[in-house]
Amino acid sequence: MKHQPFRNIVRQGLSSLFHICARELKNVFKDQGVLIFFILVPLAYPLVYAFIYTEEVVRDVPAAVVDNSRSSMSREFIRMVDATPDIKVQSYCADMEEAQNLIEEGRVYGIIYIPEEFARNISQGKQTSVSIFSDMSGLLYYKSLLMATTNVSLEMNKDIKIKRMGNSTARQDEISTAPLEYEEVSLFNPQDGFASFLIPAVLILIIQQTLLLGIGLSAGTARETNRYQDLVPLSRKYNGTLRIVLGKSLAYFLIYSMVSAYVLCAVPKMFSLVQIPDQITLLVFILPYLLACIFFAMTCSIFIHHRESCMMIYVFTSVPLLFISGISWPGAAIPDFWKVISWIFPSTFGINGFVRINSMGATLSDVLPEFRALWIHAGIYFITTCIVYRRQIQISHSHVEEKLKRVRKYFRLKKKEDIIK
Amino acid sequence: MRREVLRIATKPMYLFCMIIAPLLCYVFFATLMSNGLPTDLPAGVVDLDNTSTTRNIIRNLDAFQQTKIVAQYSSVAEARKAVQKGEIYAFYYIPEGTTEETLASRQPKVSFYANYSYLIAGSLIYRDMRTMSELAGGAVGRATLYAKGATEDQAMAFLQPIVIDSHAINNPWLNYSVYLCNTLFPGVLMLLIFMTTAYTLGTEIKENTGKELMALADNSIVTALIGKILPQTLVFFIMATFHNIYLYGFLHFPCHGGIFSMIMAGLLLVLASQAVGIFFYGLFGSMRLALSAASLWGVLSFSISGFTFPVMAMHPTLQALSNLFPLRHYFLLYVNQALNGYPIIYAWHSVVALMLFLLLPFFVLKKLRQIMETYVYLP
Repeated sequence: MKHQPFRNIVRQGLSSLFHICARELKNVFKDQGVLIFFILVPLAYPLVYAFIYTEEVVRDVPAAVVDNSRSSMSREFIRMVDATPDIKVQSYCADMEEAQNLIEEGRVYGIIYIPEEFARNISQGKQTSVSIFSDMSGLLYYKSLLMATTNVSLEMNKDIKIKRMGNSTARQDEISTAPLEYEEVSLFNPQDGFASFLIPAVLILIIQQTLLLGIGLSAGTARETNRYQDLVPLSRKYNGTLRIVLGKSLAYFLIYSMVSAYVLCAVPKMFSLVQIPDQITLLVFILPYLLACIFFAMTCSIFIHHRESCMMIYVFTSVPLLFISGISWPGAAIPDFWKVISWIFPSTFGINGFVRINSMGATLSDVLPEFRALWIHAGIYFITTCIVYRRQIQISHSHVEEKLKRVRKYFRLKKKEDIIK
Repeated sequence: MRREVLRIATKPMYLFCMIIAPLLCYVFFATLMSNGLPTDLPAGVVDLDNTSTTRNIIRNLDAFQQTKIVAQYSSVAEARKAVQKGEIYAFYYIPEGTTEETLASRQPKVSFYANYSYLIAGSLIYRDMRTMSELAGGAVGRATLYAKGATEDQAMAFLQPIVIDSHAINNPWLNYSVYLCNTLFPGVLMLLIFMTTAYTLGTEIKENTGKELMALADNSIVTALIGKILPQTLVFFIMATFHNIYLYGFLHFPCHGGIFSMIMAGLLLVLASQAVGIFFYGLFGSMRLALSAASLWGVLSFSISGFTFPVMAMHPTLQALSNLFPLRHYFLLYVNQALNGYPIIYAWHSVVALMLFLLLPFFVLKKLRQIMETYVYLP
């Protein structure tokens, strides 16, 4: 006996669920504004970003040289610096003042100064120094300049040492110049590139932000077109909080499973970024991320009363969110207060997990804390979404009842008038 | 104009976008990077040799400012796993027999692994590890030389005939806060100005008050625009001045060109951004599209203005495009004026460019008038 109604409820629920889902999809594709954020931005933005950073590293930073030594030794030094991929010797200046002028004009970003006693000191067996001055408008200039000159000096040091030692075999030379050899390995980002480092984080953030904007926009539209500025329209299909929430989120999920496949798999491939994920791990990890984002966005959409206000509120958060996630700024150096704040947003865990899976080939057990946190997010935001939607439904019910009352009153009055007549 | 002040005062959205949001970002970035340079980043060690020499190397590495050894692992695979879990950013590998082989002059090899998926953390630790390796190699050689009777100067001159003496002009601490906040603050402000400007114009149409506005301004679109924008200009200018004073007066970031020139640069940025906001609105004629364009343009500014990744290294197309972003010119002005304190003449093109942005609204004046007088809001 009891089984039958329950099955009915489920069947009815499912049918209205799909109805809501289909309507939401239709709404999305009808609305230009939402389409921009759901389709156009995720499609185009990653490309633009990847294009900006596509060169990965800074090459051939223009530098000026002030060579007061004018010896074969100093010329060799300069030639070797020029030969490195990082630095290009743009001009040879007579004195520091001239070089300083070039920096002020923005023609060069660094100065390499070789003092007069450079060659003399070396041949006398004294220590000598080369000064570099770098424009600090970009840290990458400084890095290039320092790396190039340090590497060259190490190389030259070696030659000088070998000459002085007068060893008899090449092996002996090697050992005496470097008794302890070392090797450096750049893990997971072999070219130390900027794109491989920043783009994965940006991709994940784009998913969250466009969802926030798109869902906020459609919620704003729903309110504005509704007669009572309610979020949830009232009709037979729209009763039952669960159906509405699930129906809507299913629609978003369908769209975004497609979008994220493009954003997270196709874009890195197009720009040949580091991409070594285990497919299944990635899939399993992205699922809770999408759900968490969708429910988070739906919860937030409750505050949106006008369609445009969501842009005003959400857009500027993108930059702080990127920093707080611990990619651009090392997570270990983020103050505790902001760390706790960052736990509110799914993007924090999403970015960290995705970077590790995608760029570092982590398995699910390696990102377990993030994975768990995302499921918790999905759960919490699902509940909050249900709560706020339920409240919205009640509000629209009360609006309708009020209207109904007014209509009834009107009719009663009319009846009375008729009777009086 | 009085009407506009009233409108601003009564809508919480303005309060949020003009004052709360920028303030929030200022506080956020200033506290996030209050250290300037991240310190004590977690790193690991795989020490298979485990002698007093290698332990000394590890202790020294730990003593570096940026590096903090948090764990010892028994194998490379284990350390790699820890990197993947995000527990450490890098690790140092010392194979078995390192000390013995050094003593026997057999040239052993140590390795260090830095995770460059976290570029800043990775490169900071990399620097420490590399210095450490050089020192360790040097220490062995130095001991041999001392034994042969060389003085310290002689030993150093032999080991390192050429040293590099680096000068980071005007930011010798390599402070990331100086390097980022100076552009992030105005960037956020600019983004919000873009949007607020498009929003104010848009709400006029949305609430069907465009005609009323025009009537108040004697049907002159210029008067109407100025009246609408001026109160916001004031508020935003105060915000820009506030962050300039905060950065240079309170946090004492390098400001060699005088704070006054930075305040003027702030004013130029505010005006240019408003002009861009008006232009977007006039171009698209609909608040939704104008806002979308403004937000996309604004967010893109952060990347393309070149304060993280130099414009010089971008594709030539993007180098040309970067001129279309007010933040790019502000950044150049800031580098010229505050950071380096060079004569303004070297940055004249940025000043001119920012002023050119002010001409943008004139292209859309006609369209704007038409919009204000005839357009009806379409949802």
